[in-house]
Amino acid sequence: MQTRPVIRYRAVHKAFDLPVLEGIDLDIFPGEMFGLFGASGAGKSVLLKTTIGLIVPDRGDVEVDGRSVFFGDRRDVRKIRDKVGYVFQHAALFDSLNVFENVETGLPLRRLRAMDGRRVARLVWEALERVLLDPREVMTKLPAELSGGMKKRVGIARAIVGGPDILLWDEPTTGLDPVNTAGVQRQIRRLSRELDVTSVIVTHDIEGGLEMCNRVAMLEGGRLRFLGSPTAFRASGDPIVRAFVDRTAAEAAVDLVATT
Amino acid sequence: MPGSSETPSRAERWLAGVARAGRTVLQHSGEIAILLRDIVAALVGLRVSLRSILRQMYVMGVQSLPIVILTAVLAGIVTSQQGGYQFTGAIPLYVLGSIVAESVVLEMGPVLTAIVLVGRVGARITAELGTMKVSEQIDAFYSVGRDPVSILAAPRVVAGIIVVPILVAVANLVGILAGMVSAQLTVGLGPNSFLYGARLYWQSWDLFYSLTKALVFGFTIPVVAIHMGLRTEGGAEGVGKTTTQAVMFMTLAVLIMDALFPPLLLD
Ligand SMILES: Nc1ncnc2c1ncn2[C@@H]1O[C@H](COP(=O)(O)OP(=O)(O)O)[C@@H](O)[C@H]1O
Ligand SMILES: [Mg+2]
Repeated sequence: MQTRPVIRYRAVHKAFDLPVLEGIDLDIFPGEMFGLFGASGAGKSVLLKTTIGLIVPDRGDVEVDGRSVFFGDRRDVRKIRDKVGYVFQHAALFDSLNVFENVETGLPLRRLRAMDGRRVARLVWEALERVLLDPREVMTKLPAELSGGMKKRVGIARAIVGGPDILLWDEPTTGLDPVNTAGVQRQIRRLSRELDVTSVIVTHDIEGGLEMCNRVAMLEGGRLRFLGSPTAFRASGDPIVRAFVDRTAAEAAVDLVATT
Repeated sequence: MPGSSETPSRAERWLAGVARAGRTVLQHSGEIAILLRDIVAALVGLRVSLRSILRQMYVMGVQSLPIVILTAVLAGIVTSQQGGYQFTGAIPLYVLGSIVAESVVLEMGPVLTAIVLVGRVGARITAELGTMKVSEQIDAFYSVGRDPVSILAAPRVVAGIIVVPILVAVANLVGILAGMVSAQLTVGLGPNSFLYGARLYWQSWDLFYSLTKALVFGFTIPVVAIHMGLRTEGGAEGVGKTTTQAVMFMTLAVLIMDALFPPLLLD
């Protein structure tokens, strides 16, 4: 028996001033840790955003759990967003809300209305503990008072508090120092396991991505230049894949020097 | 001649420019129409919190009061002086009261208040929402199933509609009083004569006209500001760019609508 994909990208096309995605077909299966690589500006974030309808493709569709994101009705989109946690690149915490309120927004509105305050507080508390933050310490802080690494963790807490089936991670480690990078990577792995979710991870960090993912793809020129296992990626003879790996390794070395 | 078909003529370039401008106008209009539809839907669906409306009313209203009053005082003084110096013996001096009251209520009060609010309120809204847009907070609202139009846009528009007429009413009153004091000091027209003149030509319609203008401005400023904020792209630089553009659009909108008012309402 073949398992049904949880996310299906079907012939996704998107152009802004220039074409960005030119026909992406990709199936993500339950329980996967899927890594998406690509140079800056390749369209990784655009593809990730189509998953929950934040960007509308010019052509094609995305299905999540068998529901169409762009051709279903609005209720389908709401259900999809309830079931998907999105971790934004720079955390995208709401400036005017404190940490507690930020995480609280991760609870679907309908469920939130049906819950009493103590249950909400407990869920927020648990989510913060899961990302290894001390709830007592951070709960009442505003985003402006947090470090970059802490913001990212709060962003993750907001994405997981509602008990999602799918987590979408947009460059979870970019901009973090090596220690925080390792920490966030461990969290991605641990959370994906503990919460039993399917993860799609957009990342610059090829080594980290290859280590944690069961399958990876590389986006280049609007298409998937590579799709396969990490082992196959490492062994790939495709000159474009090789060039990308070498270039990113060089950039990573420069970053490492810059942040340490 | 080879090449001549490649380089567009001046007329062709001009037409292409017009077409581009037309497309931009259509695009903005379409986006604003969708924004308005969503705001109305949010209001009708009771998805707008009273608390955020009150908060916006405070930010727009109470915090703008000092600058609005200052502007009105200056406007009253200037009108009174300008009017006063033009008087010759033929017209009774108390007519100055009417000139000041009418100019302040019909024009200076609503328009100067609106222009001040473009900078004080409109620019702030665009920069605020623009920053949220480029830092993906708007996307984040959608990602957690919340509607940024209900949460951010609708309260600002409702607050604008309520607060701007109140501010304009205050500006009208303050402007007339300032004009009255100034008339006494510059041409020696006493308060009683001033008010006599002001009442002589006064119609209750004038106040209605003034507050209708205020209402229209109070609606337009936040709508344009929100629209521009939500279409911001490209980081901090983008925020600066759309904020500047928004100020220009809002100012033009206020002035153009002000010019359209007499033919529409004074017939
Ligand atoms: N909302 C938008 N409006 C215009 N252009 C956009 C928008 N979002 C992304 N782009 C463009 O699409 C391309 C891909 O962007 P993105 O997906 O963010 O790249 P990355 O692979 O680095 O995540 C870039 O050239 C970017 O400028
Ligand atoms: Mg990106």
